[in-house]
Amino acid sequence: MPDEKLHLNINGHSRAVAGDPDRTLLDCLREEMDLTGAKYGCGMAQCGACTVLIDGAPARSCVLRSRKAGWHEITTLEGLRDAKTGQLHPVQEAFIEMQGAQCGYCANGMIMTSIAFLDQNPSPTEVEVRQALRHNFCRCGAHTEIIASVMLAAEKMKAKP
Amino acid sequence: MTNLPQLNICDTLGQVHVSIDGTGKVTGFCGHVDLGQGIEVALAQIVAEELDFALTDVAMVLGNTAATPDQGPTIASETIQVTAIPLRRAAATLRHELTRRAALQLNVAAADIVFDQGHACAAERKVAVGTLIAATDTELLIDETAKLKDPSEYKVVGHKTGRRDLLAKVNGDFNYIHDVKIDGMLHAHVIRPPYSGRDSGPFVGTSLIGYDEAAIAGRDGFVAVVRQGDLLGVVATQPDIARALAEMLPVHWRMPPELPNMGDLANTIREQPSTERVLDIAGDIDSALHSSDKHLKRSYVWPYQLHGSIGPSCAVADWADGAPVIWCGSQNPHMLRADLAQLVGLDPEKIDVRRYQAAGCYGRNCADDVAGDALIMSRAVGQPVRVQLTRAQENLWEPKGAAQIMDVEGGLKDGRFHAYRLDTWYPSNRGPNLALLLTGVMGNHPQPVEMGDRTVVPPYVIPHKRITVHDLAPVVRASWFRGVSALPNTFAHECFIDELASEAEADPVEFRLAHIEDTRAADLIQRTAEAAGWERRTGPRLRREGRMAYGRGFSHATYVHGNFPGVAAASAAWVCDVAIDTETGEVTLTRVFVGQDQGLVINPDGVRQQIHGNVHQTAGRVLGEQVSFDSIEPTQKSWGDYPIMTFPQAPAIETMLIERPDEPPLGVGESAAVPSASAIASAIFDATGVRLREVPFTPERMRSELRDAGYFVQGDAPAKPKFGLRKRMTTAALAVGGALAVGAVAMPLYRPIAPTSPPPMNSFSAELLEQGRQVFAAGNCIDCHTAPGGVPGAGGKPFETPFGTIYSSNISSDPETGLGSWSYDAFNRAMRTGISRDGSNLYPAFPYTSFAGMSDDDMFAVYAYIQSSQAVKQPAEQAQMTFPANLRPTNIAWNWMFQNVSAPLEPLANQTDAWNRGRYLVETIGHCSACHTPRNALGAEKTGEARYTGAMVNGWYAPPLAGPDAATRGWTEASLSTYLQTGHSDEIAAAAGPMAEVVSNLQELSESDIQAMSQYLASLLPETPESALVATSATIADLGPAMLNTQSHRIFETSCASCHEPAVAGMFTAAQVPLGKSMAIRAPSSQAVKTIISQGLHAPSNLGLRDMPSFSDDLSTAQMDEMAQYLRKRYASDLDAWPSE
Repeated sequence: MPDEKLHLNINGHSRAVAGDPDRTLLDCLREEMDLTGAKYGCGMAQCGACTVLIDGAPARSCVLRSRKAGWHEITTLEGLRDAKTGQLHPVQEAFIEMQGAQCGYCANGMIMTSIAFLDQNPSPTEVEVRQALRHNFCRCGAHTEIIASVMLAAEKMKAKP
Repeated sequence: MTNLPQLNICDTLGQVHVSIDGTGKVTGFCGHVDLGQGIEVALAQIVAEELDFALTDVAMVLGNTAATPDQGPTIASETIQVTAIPLRRAAATLRHELTRRAALQLNVAAADIVFDQGHACAAERKVAVGTLIAATDTELLIDETAKLKDPSEYKVVGHKTGRRDLLAKVNGDFNYIHDVKIDGMLHAHVIRPPYSGRDSGPFVGTSLIGYDEAAIAGRDGFVAVVRQGDLLGVVATQPDIARALAEMLPVHWRMPPELPNMGDLANTIREQPSTERVLDIAGDIDSALHSSDKHLKRSYVWPYQLHGSIGPSCAVADWADGAPVIWCGSQNPHMLRADLAQLVGLDPEKIDVRRYQAAGCYGRNCADDVAGDALIMSRAVGQPVRVQLTRAQENLWEPKGAAQIMDVEGGLKDGRFHAYRLDTWYPSNRGPNLALLLTGVMGNHPQPVEMGDRTVVPPYVIPHKRITVHDLAPVVRASWFRGVSALPNTFAHECFIDELASEAEADPVEFRLAHIEDTRAADLIQRTAEAAGWERRTGPRLRREGRMAYGRGFSHATYVHGNFPGVAAASAAWVCDVAIDTETGEVTLTRVFVGQDQGLVINPDGVRQQIHGNVHQTAGRVLGEQVSFDSIEPTQKSWGDYPIMTFPQAPAIETMLIERPDEPPLGVGESAAVPSASAIASAIFDATGVRLREVPFTPERMRSELRDAGYFVQGDAPAKPKFGLRKRMTTAALAVGGALAVGAVAMPLYRPIAPTSPPPMNSFSAELLEQGRQVFAAGNCIDCHTAPGGVPGAGGKPFETPFGTIYSSNISSDPETGLGSWSYDAFNRAMRTGISRDGSNLYPAFPYTSFAGMSDDDMFAVYAYIQSSQAVKQPAEQAQMTFPANLRPTNIAWNWMFQNVSAPLEPLANQTDAWNRGRYLVETIGHCSACHTPRNALGAEKTGEARYTGAMVNGWYAPPLAGPDAATRGWTEASLSTYLQTGHSDEIAAAAGPMAEVVSNLQELSESDIQAMSQYLASLLPETPESALVATSATIADLGPAMLNTQSHRIFETSCASCHEPAVAGMFTAAQVPLGKSMAIRAPSSQAVKTIISQGLHAPSNLGLRDMPSFSDDLSTAQMDEMAQYLRKRYASDLDAWPSE
């Protein structure tokens, strides 16, 4: 049976994939979908810079073939803000307020991972935040500000209805 | 826009520093760049302050060669204290000019003019600033005498100011260099020479022998192979295609000479050719050393380290008919422009270098190299080309942070620091552009540069001293990295004075203060010690709680940069606390207090962030980072065995900024890094009495030092028992030989069956072909008969057996090389008896003992299906068998001994139809036993209770389907059914490797057949279930701390844990079954685990299984061996360690 055309559901829109369905989701997003929020860092699921959300769970898009993401809801950094109002996600707001980035190359992974984490644990301790981000690398050393950003994000999300 | 009047404030070279246009919008220009440190906002603050404008009215342009002044590379923390000076003066000049014009227009005194919200105001009257700019305006020279604002009036500078790039960075809009797209842009993947990371020697630029472009030319997406000297790359339409084609291109290189002994850095570096520079002499060092009361001689060693940018380097170049534009993430756009001009023989003015933010670089990485690559590629293909390095390429080729050796000799006299002699070797330079080296445009001779002298003179009053720098060329590419040579030099100075203090039985802080004359430095030391809660001590306090030791350390430094004697940046002092597990040697940095004097603070937030960044990054460097080398190149191609600071390890940091608003602002980009290593070493000494003099302070090094100091320390890896597997195999081979000696003469060879012409395509019914397709799928034929990356069904897949390597045959319908000329008789005989059409015996890896039981209907159906398949011409590979199994008669002997079924399997009357159907599928077509039953020494499946008790097959493990070991897994008919339908069953198993292909093929079967197989397989399980396997056999705590500090544990944490111990539950790319349930880890040999680590997993497209990356390029064989044992110990702790192989 010939391959049916792959469609990906990205940020609420169904998008046809013209390229090779076996190329990584990261390549597909960056090269074909013009969504460059997810970054290439290691290609081996080590650093977390490429993280996207799939059905709300974090996924390392550098080791995930596009076809494996078919039939799932993919959310990228670009899709976090409210589509209607343009309002940023509280985690994004918190990263700005607490200056949770220096070069910001890892910020995509930090934000995406934090969203999935806070969804599971809305009232984390600082130790839990550190553990949740233990597989996301930051070389600038913005750890202090990133941890503070996630703690603030938790507060913001609780304050929202 | 272009018609707006504009006034530019320029320097004497005509370079614009500040401009204002007719709308009143002000732009500052700086030749330095934002490396992610947030310097953009600090520079804007300086301009806004001097102009009395709102920050929002000031934009900054950084690092574009066409627009910004050439102010050298963004290094040495110079931006604020050097490049900001003309910026501030230009702003002051503009302010005076605007004031003068406004005063004229409003007819008031200049002193009455104030600026407010884009207007110049005087009492009630005001004029918009933009209207003060005339159409005739051009430029104005910076007035060096223009009065600068008094810092006491500052409203913008010195106040917390948020960065202006974060909104775009957190919502995905920010355009990093990696995100730049140019119309018509192609992608190149560079292929680097085998002398990874080396920059001098006759082989550099001269090692490429040739390549075979024909192997990839014409493939989809291929554009060109581009080569100039050793610079080689494949250009394609897409980056992943370029990479795939580059990896496919056959390339021949000369092998480079070996590296010197990088395992003994100190001696290797000292022995390199070097030039001596004596930089500071006082008194008479030789006699002073002689006359010291206490004389110490020490060597301090700093290792090679990676800059470790999170984003591997990237650049885009457009040759544009000889007026090239380069988009890059360079630290030094003007220097790069000169390099590129040399590379392609153009006037620098013809080249436009546009700098974009990259991932933080912290020094010189490959950002400039890829710009050279891209320019060469673009010139060759006449289109814009983007080059993106891989993580491995970046790690291998980046100019490393240089290793450095500091030999120190000194002494005490009457309790004072009496003599100090320091000799330092810093094998580093400015990192010549790799494209210049690879193309041979620049010579491949060693190029030493004088950079080992940063903070080389200690800050203390010492009557007798001699400070010598030995300048030498890099051993491997090495260049500046945060702290440059000041970090290692300070490590030596500060460790040594800490040792002297202790010899003098003095408090380390008091001892330092007693030798400091500079009052500002003394003030920083005193205030930091006091604020951090320094506790006076005159020796190591050795505070213990059980096996944990606790200590506090101190250090301080002024970062001095630029050519010797250099310029001072900010000064920083550290007080830090460590906790050390004395048994495992693990050092935890729990708290760091940093006091810093940076003169006038521009942006307190920015300064604090730089302190935090320095602490986290450098503490990670000090505690764990070291580049290792094999005989040719660096070994760390990923983060796997290069661990950087993680979130759980990050210390608590407190900062104290000394307020000195009347002093000029000083650079803060590196200062807080400089005291790190010596402060941590000082704390370790306080805790344990042990001095570490070589970075990094790994648990291994700590254990070794503690052991030497008489501590009880946990042993290293236990001795590995020897096990004679190879010997056992030899015995088996001899046994076959023995059987042969008896049987060979007695047994006839089988007759060949004549080839027939292929049956016509329309001779089989659709129903028959469909049945055949299902049988073909159930038999998983395609998996074994397809070579890796080969044409399906054309054979050539290698099978490693104890008797040699055999290759599967071509089972397509090709008459010459496949089965096209096989009659049904020949096919049926081969399937049931293992005798090929020509009468030769097939090796028993072909599971004819199972197929023998197939029904005649199914046999004919699969024959028909194969004959109607597409013909693929591909000759069989010759088996490589060891004697005597390579002799065909041996196989005959084998058949005579073990092959005892050759008729269709009969159903059992006392079982259900479904069970019988399942049995038929499992035992015949499915040939499950071929993999899941262990084989005897002669390669035959064992019988009786040994059946289905699991076996190693071709590097994989087929786990038990029967017996007690199978029962512990908790299988039920339902979970087996789920597994066979989807490839995984929650919490029990996920199919991997060959089994994944089996399940993929089983998708062709009807649900009732799957149910039947499940029913039969469930009936193989013992009736009384064993207690189930615990999913996670060992928690980290159970493992014992010694396990945590092995290299394998670190590799597991960086390479494996993100998917196998995910930090956030539900990770979509995580493993589907916990490692505690992994059968590979419970296998009798470590081979299956190593197969998975090395090959990774590539899940069939039709199953919800997940991929795993291959680590074969990343981990050495030894590392994989150790990782396998680590996994066994951690996740199958109830089982013994594997025998070493």
